[in-house]
Amino acid sequence: MAAIKGITARLRALLFPRAAEKALNDEIEFHLEQETEKNVRLGMSRAEARRHALVQFGGLTQTREAHHDVYAARPVEEFVADTRYTLRTMRRTPALAAAAILTLALGVGANTAIFSAVNAVILRPLPFPKPEQLYMLWEENPEKGWYKEVAAPANMFDWKEQVASFADVMGYADAFGASTLSDGGEPTIVKPAFGTGNFFSVLGARAALGRTFTDAETWRTDQSVAVLSHRLWRDRFGSDPRVIGRTIQLDGSPVQVVGVMPASFAYPNDGVDLWQPWRWNPNNRQQVFFRRAHWVSVVARLKPGVTQETADAQLQAVVKRLQRDYPQTNKAMGAGMTPLHEFLIGDTRLPLLVLLGAVGLLLLIACANVGNLMLVKAAGREREAALRLALGAGRRRLIRQALTESLVTSVVGSAAGLALGWWGTRALQAIQPAGMLRVSRFEFDWVVLAYVLAITTVSGLLFGIAPALWSSRRLPLDALKEGGRGGSDSRRIRRWGERLVIGEVALALMLSVGAGLLVRSLLHLEHVDPGFDPNGVLAAKLVLPGGRYDTGEKVLSFFTRLEERLRGIPGVQGVGGVSQLSLDNSGYTSDFIVEGWPAGTYGSEVAHRRVTPDYFKVMKTPVIAGRAITAEDRPNSPQVVVINEAFAHKHFKGQDPIGKRITFNKELDSTSTWNTIVGVVKSQHQTKLSLEPQIEVFEPLAQSETNGMFMVLRTAGDPASLGPAVRRTVAELDRSLALESIRTMNEVRAQSLARERFLTTLLLLFASVGLALAVVGVYGVMAQMARRRVREMGIRLALGAQANDVRWLVVRNGLRLVVFGLVIGTVGALLATRLMQTLLYGVASKDPLTFVAVSAVLVVTAVVATWVPATFASRADPATALRAE
Amino acid sequence: MQQPPSSDVLRGTLDLLILKTLTLEPMHGWGIGQRIQQMSRGVLDANQGSLYPAFQRLEQKGWIDSEWRTTENNRRAKYYRLTAAGRRAVGTEAANWRRYVEAVEFILQTT
Repeated sequence: MAAIKGITARLRALLFPRAAEKALNDEIEFHLEQETEKNVRLGMSRAEARRHALVQFGGLTQTREAHHDVYAARPVEEFVADTRYTLRTMRRTPALAAAAILTLALGVGANTAIFSAVNAVILRPLPFPKPEQLYMLWEENPEKGWYKEVAAPANMFDWKEQVASFADVMGYADAFGASTLSDGGEPTIVKPAFGTGNFFSVLGARAALGRTFTDAETWRTDQSVAVLSHRLWRDRFGSDPRVIGRTIQLDGSPVQVVGVMPASFAYPNDGVDLWQPWRWNPNNRQQVFFRRAHWVSVVARLKPGVTQETADAQLQAVVKRLQRDYPQTNKAMGAGMTPLHEFLIGDTRLPLLVLLGAVGLLLLIACANVGNLMLVKAAGREREAALRLALGAGRRRLIRQALTESLVTSVVGSAAGLALGWWGTRALQAIQPAGMLRVSRFEFDWVVLAYVLAITTVSGLLFGIAPALWSSRRLPLDALKEGGRGGSDSRRIRRWGERLVIGEVALALMLSVGAGLLVRSLLHLEHVDPGFDPNGVLAAKLVLPGGRYDTGEKVLSFFTRLEERLRGIPGVQGVGGVSQLSLDNSGYTSDFIVEGWPAGTYGSEVAHRRVTPDYFKVMKTPVIAGRAITAEDRPNSPQVVVINEAFAHKHFKGQDPIGKRITFNKELDSTSTWNTIVGVVKSQHQTKLSLEPQIEVFEPLAQSETNGMFMVLRTAGDPASLGPAVRRTVAELDRSLALESIRTMNEVRAQSLARERFLTTLLLLFASVGLALAVVGVYGVMAQMARRRVREMGIRLALGAQANDVRWLVVRNGLRLVVFGLVIGTVGALLATRLMQTLLYGVASKDPLTFVAVSAVLVVTAVVATWVPATFASRADPATALRAE
Repeated sequence: MQQPPSSDVLRGTLDLLILKTLTLEPMHGWGIGQRIQQMSRGVLDANQGSLYPAFQRLEQKGWIDSEWRTTENNRRAKYYRLTAAGRRAVGTEAANWRRYVEAVEFILQTT
């Protein structure tokens, strides 16, 4: 209460300074009149009484001043005056101001952009009600080396029904290919997501229009429904609300639209155009395949108040029971749960945090540079400060002024940085590899603004503290005696400068080493042999709708005719087909037994792909032993497979695999069919260049049909130019088909490295800016020092020193600092880069080559940065130099 | 010219005297000055000008409150009165002062 009264008094004085002043005057006048009257009563004349009263009162002005000081108005007035003063000096020295503002803008801009991504991806909770109750359920299997893998649907339903802590459990499939939407007009490719009927209700998402799915729709095979994304509804259906209830054609089958989601809903990712329930046959639950194939992402919502520990304990009990009840499929199958948000950002977190660390270092370098600029400015005004101290200005007052100055600089710089950051945020959204940041649009929100405000204040204080202390600490007498000529040497300024150089070099080294390691890692990856020649190859994916292509013969005949036609396109040298593209996605995996192995032994995790006869020839993947798939491998001829080199190495050490027979089960039974291994081909990297090729078998498409195939075409010219002809050819065969994707193999290869390249590019950019700033900073400090030593150099030259000696003196001094900085930076980098190890390929986090190369670059740039001022100093004409003082 | 009280001790003393004076009744600035002078039998003839910054200080601490009123002679004057917090403060401030005096007295006696 008392405090509030005090504050209102202050506020009143601040807001109505005139009124406050008048009140005081009235009060004093009243006092004086009373006193005068008292004096008159005591027998004085009126004039004398008044004079006496004034004397008795003491200094009128002093009282007014003191009164004024007590109020908050004073600091505020001073702040305004200091701010004005700062803006005025900025205008007077625009180059200096521009340098400081630009430097800060770079630092703050980079921070803003990266932090807005960190905020959107990591900090902001998932956009669902009570997101903390959502958990990703996953499976693990030590036998197969699985960890946090997708689950088998039958297991999901058992968890849903038997774990009491789960309010509900839903499943969905990510990356489920594409569908062709033909609804009148041109057939278009849309990306569907499939899930259980409670997909939306578990997340707590409501439809913007119409309804979402019902739980029962998981099992309803008699009707087909879909919920549209806001984007598809807008782009394809012109935001027409009458779309609800309408029947559209998806892959040639009728589907009824029942709802439209709001624009904000984008799960599992914002590439999804529409959602469909699975429509499983209720009998599936008794089928072994429902427990054997693992392909469902499972999300559970906990009951309110239930902890993860409780739920996990119950889940483990169910897992144990399933292992006992279904040994054939679940013997080694474990399961676990991770908070959904944490699970989703799993592999994005580290790259983002590395980037955040990098921009943090960048900001520190920027602060050091601006700090140096401010220091130079403060040193130039040393005499002014001394004079003010001598005239009775408080030290606090001077410190406050210096801090105000740096804060104003910081605010102006940050405003520019915010603009740069806004642009950077846009750029980041545009260049991020598809799906990496999960959130493809992020805006500034109050968290980002608060962060920018915080770094603005902190950096303002950081680079302002040195000049502030500097301007106040000196004894006025000393400064005035030195006459503002900088004295023989202002040791304190020099020491600050030296520290800045050391610090900047250390920071620049850390930043550059980080970037250097990533560059080396990327170069390694670029040189990894993918197992095929991506040059001159175009890959086009198409999926034949199961409705019309319902038999193996139809599928096979279509692809055979298509290959035939594609070969006819001018410039095409060869055409093949494969069910999954290398460096894009691996096929499904299975267990296997090789004939002749002891009973009970089996292998795990062999990948499967279907190929047409010319596939290996088109990809230029050499056949190492035996033969490739040929046109003679027909549906009814003996079943054959080709294996990759990795398989031969791992499971046929020293033996010839050709002619061996293999089956893809864990146990032999009556349904097991034997496939003869007829050839070994060089291993292709299935998913990423950074991962060793998996063991793999290739089956002839003719003996194992699938509706989705990538057609690969080799040409001597530019493969991308074949696109239109390929589309035309497909349309000639079946007008309702649309290509799901069409990319050159080099694009596929580049996309598989997109994350690495993204991170490397950004870090390289930040490191370059950081290095440039550091070089400018080092140059600035060295130039300043050299200038301060001009007189000394003059004396040395006068005493007979050679220009070279003098130059070397300055350079040596600079190098000493640089080396010092390198040592500190190396220690820092060794600690920091350890965290990056998992992002690196083929390079150790303490890779000596990177450290040496980066240090060398820094030394060379530092020598250049010191050489120029050194040359300047060595040219000093002794006479002028001495007189200059 | 007299020096305004500058040390914290003197400043604290003046504040205490003002508070003590106001425990009797609300008063205007001049009245407070007169009362202090009278009560101290003329010993404490404080620089009257220094009273006013002291009023602001006390007002900001929330110990006193002010309002413009008319005097018996029909003049407008600013009257100060003690707030509840101020009444509490008189007790603690007085106790502090007594401790201080005792300490000084003790030193004077023993040396």
